[in-house]
Amino acid sequence: MAETIEAVIEARGVGVELGGAPILRAVDLTAAPGDLVAVVGPNGVGKSTLLRCLAGLQRADGRIGVFGRAPADEPGFWRDVVLVADEPSWYPGLSTREHLELMRAVHGPARMDAAAALELFELTGRADLAPLSLSTGQRQRLSLAMALLRPSRLLLLDEPERGLDAAFRTRLADLLTRYAADGGTVVMATHDPRLAEATGARVLTLEPA
Amino acid sequence: MRGLVRSRRRERTWTDRYTILFGAAVAFVLAAPAAGRAVGAVPGAADPARAGAGLALIALLVAGALAAARAFGPVALSPADAAWLLLSPLPRRAVLRRSALILLAVSAVAGVALGVALLAALGAPDHATLRLLAALAVGAATAVGGTSAAVLAQASHRWDAWLLAAIGVALAAAALAAVTSMGPGRHLTTAIAAAPVPAWLAAASASAAAAAVAARAWTALGRIPARVLLDASTRSGNATAAALNLDPATLTWIAEDARWRGRRLRSRPWPAAFGPVRVRGALAVAWQEWRRLSRRPVRLALLAAACAVPALTARAFAPHAHAVPAAAVAVLAAGALAAAAAATTGARRDADDPALARLTRAPRRAVLAARALLPALLGGAWLTLALTALNAAGALPPGPWWPFGALCAPALAAGALRMARRRPVDHALPVLLSPIGSLPTGPLLWALTGADLAALGCAPALQALADGPSPSLAAAQAATGALTLTAYLTLNPRP
Repeated sequence: MAETIEAVIEARGVGVELGGAPILRAVDLTAAPGDLVAVVGPNGVGKSTLLRCLAGLQRADGRIGVFGRAPADEPGFWRDVVLVADEPSWYPGLSTREHLELMRAVHGPARMDAAAALELFELTGRADLAPLSLSTGQRQRLSLAMALLRPSRLLLLDEPERGLDAAFRTRLADLLTRYAADGGTVVMATHDPRLAEATGARVLTLEPA
Repeated sequence: MRGLVRSRRRERTWTDRYTILFGAAVAFVLAAPAAGRAVGAVPGAADPARAGAGLALIALLVAGALAAARAFGPVALSPADAAWLLLSPLPRRAVLRRSALILLAVSAVAGVALGVALLAALGAPDHATLRLLAALAVGAATAVGGTSAAVLAQASHRWDAWLLAAIGVALAAAALAAVTSMGPGRHLTTAIAAAPVPAWLAAASASAAAAAVAARAWTALGRIPARVLLDASTRSGNATAAALNLDPATLTWIAEDARWRGRRLRSRPWPAAFGPVRVRGALAVAWQEWRRLSRRPVRLALLAAACAVPALTARAFAPHAHAVPAAAVAVLAAGALAAAAAATTGARRDADDPALARLTRAPRRAVLAARALLPALLGGAWLTLALTALNAAGALPPGPWWPFGALCAPALAAGALRMARRRPVDHALPVLLSPIGSLPTGPLLWALTGADLAALGCAPALQALADGPSPSLAAAQAATGALTLTAYLTLNPRP
């Protein structure tokens, strides 16, 4: 008998209305460990809203299960789930390297150490600068580095290609593919069809509600 | 371009002129009694203790004002002018003229207030009118001269160095005056206070020097680089936006971000342990604040030096009373809360934007508890030193004051964290009509959030300031402080 793989995400009939206007209507999504899902569609179609629903940050109609329970904005949920959306507010007084060190110190055994993350995300030359001194693309790399350094089982990425140059997008595709190969699940909203293609992601196209 | 904008505006009507005149008259009617009371309160003969403390406070104010002028410009433009007029072939001085005139008017008014404060500190044993005029002239000269020097500092590095030196001199003068108020060298302040009128007039001639500096600053307006003006305009634009939106919290963000942007830091790994305690989880998140503060030694030194301000205020307001005047209590409370709040940036960031808190996924209550350690340490240490200074100045009722600083520490930490994590101003709350005018409850509640909890948690210590310390009040303070922090940590789990 084949072993049953528990779904990481099981969403059925997800719908969201904001101010009376429908944003999402009856969206279904299932993802298992090792899956990569690219959510695509034009601006305003609800890609970011869907990610917020999966992260428990947006109330929605329908049924959403993440690791077998309703998503909730609480530390227990974020132990397994990482959300990278808009640029975070960086902690004042810490350098780029120290932001990565903080992740490692909080989480204990990390997926990589700070030096390796700096090198992988091409931030070694900027390690001692405060994040606000970095360019937009470098800050996005730092966000992704912090997300990929800590242990997790589900990555929710909202336009991870934002601000990144073409060469680094290729590297990002490689990093995400390796994350999924290690058993992680990735759901990303993207406007870059090449990123979706390079990761071999299953494409979920959202239509205007 | 400004002419074009003006030409498209509606012409001023008689109603507009009447409104302006009426507004000016109302401002005069409101300000005149206050000014009269201030001048009437000037003591006849100078008290050396009061004079020294007053002069120290005035010197601190001048140093603070110069530092603020240096940090925010002082010459800046509105965002529209900065975008359209600054990067154009128009003569720079013409573009900056309006800002410079506003700056001159503001500094002249501040100078008048400074003059009255100066006279209040030194007293007027004879020739009251002449002394008042001389003090006003010295005050105005200091304010206008200082502002002009700050304008010159925008145009030249040499003047910037001199301005920094002037701030240092003002701080040194404050320290000297503070020492003289305690006793040693008291004859210096006595000599200044009892200086014959010609000496005062000579001091007033400083206004001539100030006028010369102002004239030089006017000439230098044309040489201020666009880059400097754009930076200053952005900073003051942000500050104005924060003020117009009644969201002062934005200012602390701007200041903090500006401090670290472009700075190279010496990255260090997170410590494995802090004494016997391992730095993991919540403690590792809270360590950010310790690391940030270790990179701000000047701020820590200023904070430590500020412990003397409540004692100076007490001496300036009631030099010989063994009871703390209300102004000194207010300065003491505000200082202790400000010291605790100096170590709450991480809590503020996570409350405003929980993205990094989610990424760290440490238990929120544990993070909050770990983040209370440093504010408690700073607030408690500051209060202990300030109470010691007040006691040494003889401004406190007799008794053992040393435990109260540490016993207030938990309540100060709770108040500072509540202040850092408060939500933005709610402008939808109603405006209350009161005998002193309309009170917008949104900004009022926002301003009181944090201070309310600290005051509640330090109530026994405040009682001790009025009645004198006692073991029962110390025990009550220990219980209230611990209870306040415990209740706050238990009831506030949000990031």
